[in-house]
Amino acid sequence: VSVAAHAERGIAQRRGAQWPVLIAGVCALVLVAATTEVVLDAVLDHSPLIPKSPAIAGWLPDLGERLGYRTFLIALLASVAAYGGLLALAGGISKRAAIALLATLHAIVFVGPILISTDVFSYIAYARMGVEHGLNPYTHGPISISSDPVYYFVGRDWKHVETAYGPLYTLLSYPLAPLGVNGALWAMKIVAMFSSVGTLALTWRCARARGRDPVFALLALGANPLYVLYALGGAHNDLIMMLLMMVAVSLTLAGRDAPAAAAVVAGALVKATVAALLPFMLLARRTLPVLAGAAAALALGALVAFLAFGIHGVDVVAALNRDAAFVSTDSFPTEIAHLFGKPGVFPVDHDLLKGALVVIVVHLLWRTSRGYDWVAASGWALLAISVTSTWLLAWYILWPLPLALVARDRRLLVATLTIQALFIAHQITPFFAPVS
Amino acid sequence: MSAHGRTAASEGADVEHTAKQGGRRWRTETIVLLLVALLLAIATGNDVVQHTHTNQRLIADLSTWRSYTHKPFHNLSVSQDYSKHFTREVVCGNTAPGDPKTHTQLCLVISGPVRHGRREVRGGWYLPPRVEDKPEFRYRCFGSARGEFQCTR
Repeated sequence: VSVAAHAERGIAQRRGAQWPVLIAGVCALVLVAATTEVVLDAVLDHSPLIPKSPAIAGWLPDLGERLGYRTFLIALLASVAAYGGLLALAGGISKRAAIALLATLHAIVFVGPILISTDVFSYIAYARMGVEHGLNPYTHGPISISSDPVYYFVGRDWKHVETAYGPLYTLLSYPLAPLGVNGALWAMKIVAMFSSVGTLALTWRCARARGRDPVFALLALGANPLYVLYALGGAHNDLIMMLLMMVAVSLTLAGRDAPAAAAVVAGALVKATVAALLPFMLLARRTLPVLAGAAAALALGALVAFLAFGIHGVDVVAALNRDAAFVSTDSFPTEIAHLFGKPGVFPVDHDLLKGALVVIVVHLLWRTSRGYDWVAASGWALLAISVTSTWLLAWYILWPLPLALVARDRRLLVATLTIQALFIAHQITPFFAPVS
Repeated sequence: MSAHGRTAASEGADVEHTAKQGGRRWRTETIVLLLVALLLAIATGNDVVQHTHTNQRLIADLSTWRSYTHKPFHNLSVSQDYSKHFTREVVCGNTAPGDPKTHTQLCLVISGPVRHGRREVRGGWYLPPRVEDKPEFRYRCFGSARGEFQCTR
């Protein structure tokens, strides 16, 4: 009897070990299926979710139907549930299985059309303005190249707007301009994919170096539905910024402070937001190489930007101020304004939000000076920037995620995922009341 | 010996004091974070409910236009009357099949509560093809639109 009981216990234990793997497999399949559904539906035609785009994915089969809010929301919510399941069961998932899943998701999104956002066409337009038309993208909007084939695809709200991206990114995008719209689009997708792969690899490395579960970190970033569908799907340059951010963290962990600080500055010359890391890094490391690396990179970047674009290429503050005045319906300040019966955000609210952000950053700086993890402090600062911003897009709330996965304060990860969950919850109105 | 003992004791007290302070700070920060999360969750929930109500009203408005004009068109434009009434909408659509604004358009002023999936038509006007809904283009106003001088011709 005792032998039988022992054997039964053994089977139960083995079953207990197999169930999580099975459930994780189902979660992975749901993620792949939901992503495939979105991509196949996006191939058919543009819709409120899919921007007008050259037919780069016309060779994919016409299996779905034009992507509407309802289908997209079902796919998004299914992905979120599967993502949650994967994170809960990450302990039982092998490194090889995690990499296979992320490679599949990346491949599906890569072969499909551009999802959700028109930003990539603005990137191409700015590059073509500089290379093909001899115009400075820091002083002209895409409207000035209205005869260029890319102009048709630029988002309506951005036709008159000069670039807000850093000079390093603008210069990096210039070699893609002569490839034509289709060629540049594929190149942008390749750059986004390689940036993502680099960010994932460095997140893995940093997580392991800091004693975190690297498989969990890999899945939490690479299988994140906002990351896959929005950031990767839209080929956003935020992925390049995040790559340089993780290069900086990785170099700091290796004790290479000067190149780490230079990497932060390089990231800020792609998209200024990542500059938020620098004061925390300086305060935590307190070494001359950090200061020297940052100063040298900044001086070099400013010189190159000035030579290429004049004073407008150096004046990132003006671009940031302009963007900070934008208001989106998905931003948390707008939601809070509605909660208190206001129709939206007013200029006085912008000042209050800036004040709140300053208070948060000062508190984080003080905490870092007292020994708090600078990576966590940087992550909190990026999260605070996205939460207090009146112009919030899905890929903005991804900025702190890689840092949250390697930070010593687990509250940052919980907070980041909570903010992402609230952002997704805010999208579900068409699910309850679809307007047709 | 006693001096050394006092130093060790005071160092121990310092460490304990710092740990207590750290613990208190961590708790305070966590409470603030939870309160912020609660505020954001309530604001998000409130927005979803508001948007759902707005969408339900829009669905009723589109249905009202189709039923009033007996035309099953889907290319309709809806604008909210921000000036006076947040729940009063103007729905415009073609009077004949075709792309948006390619034919004479009929605009209806719709307000009131949703009843049986529709709302009440208070008035309206016509617009010539290929123009936006601006007062200078409106003609043949009827119902409340005439009373509110929304037509200039």
